[in-house]
Amino acid sequence: MESKRLSKLPEKVIIPLKQHKGTPCVPLVKKGDKVIIGQKIGDCKDDNDSSVHSSVCGEVQSIEMAPHPDGNKVLSVIIKTNDSTETVQFSPKKNPSQQELIEIIKNSGIVEHYGVPTQSVLKPAGKKIDIVLINATSSEWVGGKFSTPEEYGMQMIDALKLLMKAAGASKGAIVLRSDDAESISAFERVKFEGKQLQVSPLIGNRKIGYYFKDQNSDIVVVSQKRIYGKSILNFFTYNVTGRKVPPGCVPADVGVAICSVKSAKAVYDAVNEGKPYYETVISLEGLANCPSQVLVRIGTPFKDVIEACGGYPAESGKLIANGMRTGVAQYTDEVPVTKTTTRISFQKPEDVQRDEAIACTHCAMCVDACPVELIPSRLAVLSDQGRFDECRKMHIDNCIECGECAVICPSKIHILQLIRYAKNAIEKAYEDLPQKESSNLKLGCACGGE
Amino acid sequence: MTFTISAPPHRKSRINFRYIMWSKILALLPVSLISIYFFGIPALSIILAGVLSAVATETAIQKIFNHKLTIKDGHAVLIGLMLSLIMPPEAPLWLPVVGSFFAIAIGKHAFGGIGSYVFNPVLAAWIFISSAWPRFMTPISIPHVGQLSDFLLENGAGLLVDVSPLALIGGVYLIYKKYVEWRVPLAFFITMVLFPQTLNVVFEAVGLISSGVLNPLKYMSLIFKFLEISPELPYSMIGTVFFGILFISTDNPTSPVTKKGRLVYGVICGLLVSIYGYFGNYVAGTFYGLFLANCLSSFIESNTLPASFGSEGKLGKFYRRFIEKFPSSVKREVLFDDQW
Repeated sequence: MESKRLSKLPEKVIIPLKQHKGTPCVPLVKKGDKVIIGQKIGDCKDDNDSSVHSSVCGEVQSIEMAPHPDGNKVLSVIIKTNDSTETVQFSPKKNPSQQELIEIIKNSGIVEHYGVPTQSVLKPAGKKIDIVLINATSSEWVGGKFSTPEEYGMQMIDALKLLMKAAGASKGAIVLRSDDAESISAFERVKFEGKQLQVSPLIGNRKIGYYFKDQNSDIVVVSQKRIYGKSILNFFTYNVTGRKVPPGCVPADVGVAICSVKSAKAVYDAVNEGKPYYETVISLEGLANCPSQVLVRIGTPFKDVIEACGGYPAESGKLIANGMRTGVAQYTDEVPVTKTTTRISFQKPEDVQRDEAIACTHCAMCVDACPVELIPSRLAVLSDQGRFDECRKMHIDNCIECGECAVICPSKIHILQLIRYAKNAIEKAYEDLPQKESSNLKLGCACGGE
Repeated sequence: MTFTISAPPHRKSRINFRYIMWSKILALLPVSLISIYFFGIPALSIILAGVLSAVATETAIQKIFNHKLTIKDGHAVLIGLMLSLIMPPEAPLWLPVVGSFFAIAIGKHAFGGIGSYVFNPVLAAWIFISSAWPRFMTPISIPHVGQLSDFLLENGAGLLVDVSPLALIGGVYLIYKKYVEWRVPLAFFITMVLFPQTLNVVFEAVGLISSGVLNPLKYMSLIFKFLEISPELPYSMIGTVFFGILFISTDNPTSPVTKKGRLVYGVICGLLVSIYGYFGNYVAGTFYGLFLANCLSSFIESNTLPASFGSEGKLGKFYRRFIEKFPSSVKREVLFDDQW
């Protein structure tokens, strides 16, 4: 199904200059400037940042600190819109080389949904990527121009080829969700290199290595169970390729690049239409009159998206950016849709759960629920007491932050929150771990890239 | 427009501690009713006395120490009910009262309340009262399964819970609904069945050896001895043992949390209960065996902590030690060419 564009143009858009993990961009416009669609308004300083483009035509109202869906305030360009649909000259590129592709991706400002700019995922400094995965297990049908499902499947495969070329990788795979029948049937109808494409399930020890050999091709489409979580990349890598990522490292250290459907689509559009990343598809949930997916311009405030979809169904409630499991509850609806926003959910007051935590009864439900074989109940207790060394010994860095433990806990303990607390404390305390956002992006790895 | 904010996850399961406790109580209701039908008023009064005493003790303790009142979560009711069910109907009425008081005051609250106790309060209280007043606590008869209808209604029942093993089926439903985990009861049950069967085979083999049989076919036919129901089995498949499997061994704080640990714990429960039962009777054997298993549970837990996901287990390391001695051309990795 193709996603509809949001019907109403918002009065003003808020475009944060930092929609990735890293330093904010340098604004290229100033107050009172006229901007048009696709114009670059924020420039990146280095390869680990991502530039920002205007999604509307209008006049820059101000450049100020504005709320961001992550919960803090970020320097943003606020643009008062007008009805014009003037765009910058889009220049498609035929058959780009690897270096050109990386440049295109960088200039189009494409960012993965987990916040890392795509060009540094595909071409990390000092590391060699030999396999590119497109993770379609969470976000499946994404808008674009396609008339039949086969065309969608073909576009995805072309996008994967582009990504592989940009990364210099020899192999690539698209990972679908095993219960997503719509996408699976779309890919099953695609003919690739003269052969009917098969969606192969990942079962037990049968990883994609087997299918590369079995189907004798460099591109395969596989399916697996849905994985939730904020930091699933290492687990996902292991699940799909069988390569174990050492603790504190990223998939790039074992030669794997993981992209999402959205960024793959954005790369496809950037190359074939010359269009920078200024529109994104988000899913909606819990609104009065809501389509399941909608195409919005980056920078549209949540308020306008919600109004265009029938408004709030209740007087109060919980507004969540990015899904029920890992999303951030918003304190205001003046936050914009950013490149890392995948979903807007709204919970009615009667659905908002208020539970009181009681003592852990060691019922082991969290142990059974954990996908990465941790003991969440014990980690929660250790974290609560500040015993972070012991947490680390119990492989707390494996946690993918899926929240399964906190969901199932009959004592209603905030296990996920406690584990995150411990993980943050450990990141700050140990020098052998890679540095994060605060000290600005050293995507290096403690154990040295391979 | 006002917004609620909180940390993720934003949607949680509706099942809470209270719900699980009350469903356990509900699962014990059929056997309570059958025991009242079978033993009459004494059974009813014992159950009432046990439950009321447990609730009163918990209220008193939480009032005195200024804790939050947690009667509603059903834990005290469950302890009182479970303790009453493992008493003989002839016991004087003050016995369940004292027993429940001990279970709640010493067994539960002295150790720190739900989730913190080392020994199952029910077991601790049962052992306390049966060593203090053995005269009242020894059942008149020890049941054994003579015919199939004994599973439905056991005429030789000595304790309240013995009246009907089948009435404990609610415990299986709890496991099916995942309110109670399955590893401990399953491993426990399988061990309870396999232990007497293995003994059967071992005794037969010893008999053959001591009588000097040399025919190897006779030794091979020992395998069929496994399938014969051993004479021990009817004594061990009684209500008390099923109660132990479904309700006592699955008590969360006293069993390990690790996946492997729970299987080990189940097997150890089974072994201890079988050994006790073999030399004594399976009624006392269940309680003493499980009490000893409780002592071992934290030891098991700290020795079965899982490794990081995807890392090689003991078996893999063992395999690797041997495979490294082989010439590289016959290695599985080379033969099957898994690397890519």
